[in-house]
Amino acid sequence: MTSVPRSMEASGPGEVKAMDRARRTQASGWWGAALLIATEATLFACLIATYFYLRFKTSEWPLGGIEKPSVTLPLVFTGMLVATCVPMFLSAKAAKGGAVRAAWWLLLLAAAVQATYLGLQIHLMVDDLHSFKPSANAYGSIYYTLITVHHAHVAVGLAIDAWLLWKLSRGITNYRLIALRVAAFYWYFVSAAAIAVVLTQLYPSL
Amino acid sequence: MSPLNPNSPAAHDIATLWWWMLAVAATVFLGAVAMLMIGWLRRDTPGLPFLGENEKANTALVVLFGMAIPIVILVALFIVSDLVLLNETDAPQASSTAMTVTVTGHQWFWGVRYEGKNAETANEIHIPVRTPVNLVVHTADVIHSFWVPELNRKIDTIPGQANSIELYAERPGVYRGQCAEFCGLQHAHMAFRVYAEPMPKFEAWLANIERPAREPTTAEARQGQQYFMEDGCAACHTISGTKAKGTVGPNLTHLAGRQTLAADTIPNTPGDLFRWIQNPQEIKPGAKMPGLGLGPGKFHAIVAYLTGLK
Amino acid sequence: MTVSTPPATAVRLNRLERIWKESPGALGWLTTVDHKRIGILYFFTSLFFFAAGGVEALLIRTQLIGPNQSTLDPATFNEMMSTHGTTMIFFFVVPMSLGAFGNYLLPLMIGARDMAFPRLNALSYWIYLCAGIFLYVGVFSGNAPSAGWFDYVPLASKAYSPGPGIDFYALSLLFVSVSTTAGAINAIVTIFKLRAPGMSLNRMPLFCFAFLAVSFALIFALPALSTALILLELERLLGFHFFIPAAGGDPILWQNLFWIFGHPEVYIIILPAFGIATSIIPTFVRRKMVAWPLVALAEILVAFLGFGVWAHHMFAVGLASATTIYFAAASLIIVIPSGIQLFSWITTIVTGTPRFKTPLLWIIGFIVLFIMGGLSGVMFAAIPFDQQTTDTYFVVAHFHYVIFGAAVFPLLGGMYYWFPKVTGRMYYETWGKVSFWLTFIGTNITFFPMHILGLDGMPRRNYTYGPEMGWTGLNLIETLGAYLLALGLLSVFANLAISIFKGEKAGNDPFGGDTLEWSTTSPPPAYNYAVIPKVSSPYAMWDTEDREDDARNLELGRKTLEQGHETPASTAVDADWDEVLEMPSHSAWPPIVALGMTGVFAMIILEQWFAAAIATVVLALTVAGFHLKEPEEA
Repeated sequence: MTSVPRSMEASGPGEVKAMDRARRTQASGWWGAALLIATEATLFACLIATYFYLRFKTSEWPLGGIEKPSVTLPLVFTGMLVATCVPMFLSAKAAKGGAVRAAWWLLLLAAAVQATYLGLQIHLMVDDLHSFKPSANAYGSIYYTLITVHHAHVAVGLAIDAWLLWKLSRGITNYRLIALRVAAFYWYFVSAAAIAVVLTQLYPSL
Repeated sequence: MSPLNPNSPAAHDIATLWWWMLAVAATVFLGAVAMLMIGWLRRDTPGLPFLGENEKANTALVVLFGMAIPIVILVALFIVSDLVLLNETDAPQASSTAMTVTVTGHQWFWGVRYEGKNAETANEIHIPVRTPVNLVVHTADVIHSFWVPELNRKIDTIPGQANSIELYAERPGVYRGQCAEFCGLQHAHMAFRVYAEPMPKFEAWLANIERPAREPTTAEARQGQQYFMEDGCAACHTISGTKAKGTVGPNLTHLAGRQTLAADTIPNTPGDLFRWIQNPQEIKPGAKMPGLGLGPGKFHAIVAYLTGLK
Repeated sequence: MTVSTPPATAVRLNRLERIWKESPGALGWLTTVDHKRIGILYFFTSLFFFAAGGVEALLIRTQLIGPNQSTLDPATFNEMMSTHGTTMIFFFVVPMSLGAFGNYLLPLMIGARDMAFPRLNALSYWIYLCAGIFLYVGVFSGNAPSAGWFDYVPLASKAYSPGPGIDFYALSLLFVSVSTTAGAINAIVTIFKLRAPGMSLNRMPLFCFAFLAVSFALIFALPALSTALILLELERLLGFHFFIPAAGGDPILWQNLFWIFGHPEVYIIILPAFGIATSIIPTFVRRKMVAWPLVALAEILVAFLGFGVWAHHMFAVGLASATTIYFAAASLIIVIPSGIQLFSWITTIVTGTPRFKTPLLWIIGFIVLFIMGGLSGVMFAAIPFDQQTTDTYFVVAHFHYVIFGAAVFPLLGGMYYWFPKVTGRMYYETWGKVSFWLTFIGTNITFFPMHILGLDGMPRRNYTYGPEMGWTGLNLIETLGAYLLALGLLSVFANLAISIFKGEKAGNDPFGGDTLEWSTTSPPPAYNYAVIPKVSSPYAMWDTEDREDDARNLELGRKTLEQGHETPASTAVDADWDEVLEMPSHSAWPPIVALGMTGVFAMIILEQWFAAAIATVVLALTVAGFHLKEPEEA
């Protein structure tokens, strides 16, 4: 009985690494995050289904003479975001192995690129708003709703990054390692959602 | 107004289906209650009657009653109702019907138009008996549902979509229908009547509906016509052949020929008509028709005019 | 259970008590993270909403007692009708099942000391309370929703419902869905990770399988509702277009999204009741559940299959035949797992030696009412029949039999069953039986005639009807039945209320229960179990050798986890012990975050967008505060 680790007491790189090695199943927090991601993924699925439901109700798409979306920049930006999965993965891996400073810098790198992504995407969206508004018709409405929901998820991810950067600068604990792994998982999800969303958005032009 | 009082082949078949389903359901229910009674009667003896304590038998019973028998019943139900019967209640092919009537749901009345004829009325539909009619439904605002249970299933009126069912009456008669999708304040008072009549009578009725409104014959009625046109009624109502071309409210061209008012809310007598136009909100609170406050004299005259619109 | 005689044991129990006991008093309750206290908070709050929904129902029935009554004008009737459904489904039955019963019992049944996320649990409660108050602020300020509980567009669009009633509906449901989602996540992680080591999945009580199924269903169903509500509010408040054909939208989009949630929701409503039934039956018939593996599987299947049938609520809409045929077939398939469970219960009762005490009476009543509601439900899979009887009193009969009869009766039975465990006192048995019969008879008098009325053509959601329709007599009977039902329910609760103070003291296990909660005291100590229990089967209480092992472990100080606020975490399937978790204690953050969230929703309904943005930042800060303290700092 005493050989079962008291996980929350693990603090500092060595103990955390040992705790992580010893566990046979994911931490509760990871499971909880996985289920939250499941609900959010379902939300995106419903929004994307709504997009295609509306699309197949009409013959003209986009509606109301709105121009088809341009393809290049959105795809490039999405690629940027998806690429941050690599530093996120490496950051979590480093932290598991006890290399907390490396983990911190990798997280910072990922966060910087993610923030840039968000900024660029918002800029693109503001550009779009000059040509057509969400209140124009159903196409405009679902277009902006889909990307705004996606942007909101990116913003939440950035908040999580900021939080972790602060906490990890003060050292590592079992709790913070789980949080970092959850953050990485979250960004894999957001990247997958980004691919789904951008392919949906660009569908008329593809 | 009951689905169990069918007057068409489709409604008949649905009613028959119901009686069979009731028989099976009652058997299942009584069987289950009987089992529970056995549980009570044998409450001091463990195990099944005859078979005693036998887990394999218990599980077999569960599979038999919970899975095997239901599968048989459900497959039968599915085939009969969803593969065979469904064809009868589907939208009819236009080529198989003799005429098309378009009904438009409004908050809270029904507009009726006969396609290909210049015939429009409200809250009543006449059809020739034993003739398949293509009944197409639209809505002018929210989702309503057209339902004449004695003749067929209900069909919703969806914005942006045309739905249709077949109306076929086996016997002459008056069949009541009512809106069957919650549509706001006066959903409860949005009914209508379908009159199935022999072809000559129907054709006479239709020919009358196609004619423009009769001219008033008395002085009071003429006054009433003037008030109607000038004091607000014409803004919402159409009386064909006159200046009144409003489309917010029901078509009144042949109002006097109808048996009810306000979508089957009150009878169509001069007294009721007077009460209605004087204060619609008292009879049907929330209806879109305002009380115009014209005073009893003017209202009497308008009633005199309207009662001449046969 | 041997307690406290050896001094070492007494010291251990005292230490656990000191570690786990929460503060008494209002502040203690406000900052509680104890699943039992949270369960009790949920219980009383959802009872309040049950009463509110009940008053709304009685007002409806009073208006319909005769033709052309003017107890309620049409506007008020429509509000009462809409609020009744919304309150009962979202603010009574699911919170009572998941929040009260689930929270209180799940950790106890799996041998754990709390849920996986105690502070999230508290947060779920406070959000639920705030969301319910939010809706009723709308109701009491004359802004109740009035487009029905499923709120079809275009009626619910701004053009036809210009006031804020629909916004109160949509926003309060979005608000409460955060609570329900969090609750579902908590339940799943608890069931998978916090089971006592040794309680592999095939040794887990059927109650837990039901709650696992419910929680997964909620995870995947709620987002569809959230999507629908977000689209509706974007349309109403910001002029977006999703449902208006002229702008390229479609009102049927709402119906699809709503019912993709709405149909699983009805299985969400009933699955906990199945779980309660499968707890009560073995205890009172004194034998194990027949075909246990089939029942466990059936509970999961019902939740899963429930996602494939939603358009059977839309058979009158004018969908393509092929579509309706598919959905009818899928709807028929769901009958099978329900049938398996039903006959397993019945066979267990027949082959056992039942003692017909109050809790079992509620379950027998449930079985009878569920069969009736299920049979009328099957009839709706016959599409042409559905197309005649949908939107009539026939469907009102059907769903009240399955929701009231089949979901609420087990809740009432469960209240009686676990009353001694929670309060430490017994209820009055004869009074309990009388209350059951009053309620059962009242239920049938109220809802059975509705089948006939529907077949006689009476549509639903009508604020009145004419005397010439022939509906008068049955409506009168139903209204009188409703008053009798209300009387029955008052009797049910009066018995419990008085028994809290006057009931005989109950021991740990007054009924010979089969699950772990009966092994601890009544009420349970703050730490639930002094010793993490040994488990060999789903009927842990009946495995007397294991319970003797627990007593020995207590004396020897083994598996007592007394070093801190601790509970074990195990692997998901086989429950091999993996870690010792440190649980949080009192926290003010849950109510604070809930208030932060309330601020956001309040600003949105007031259409103060800048203030809503500020409120969102404040909410984010409260969430940050929630995460400030880490477990090892607790």
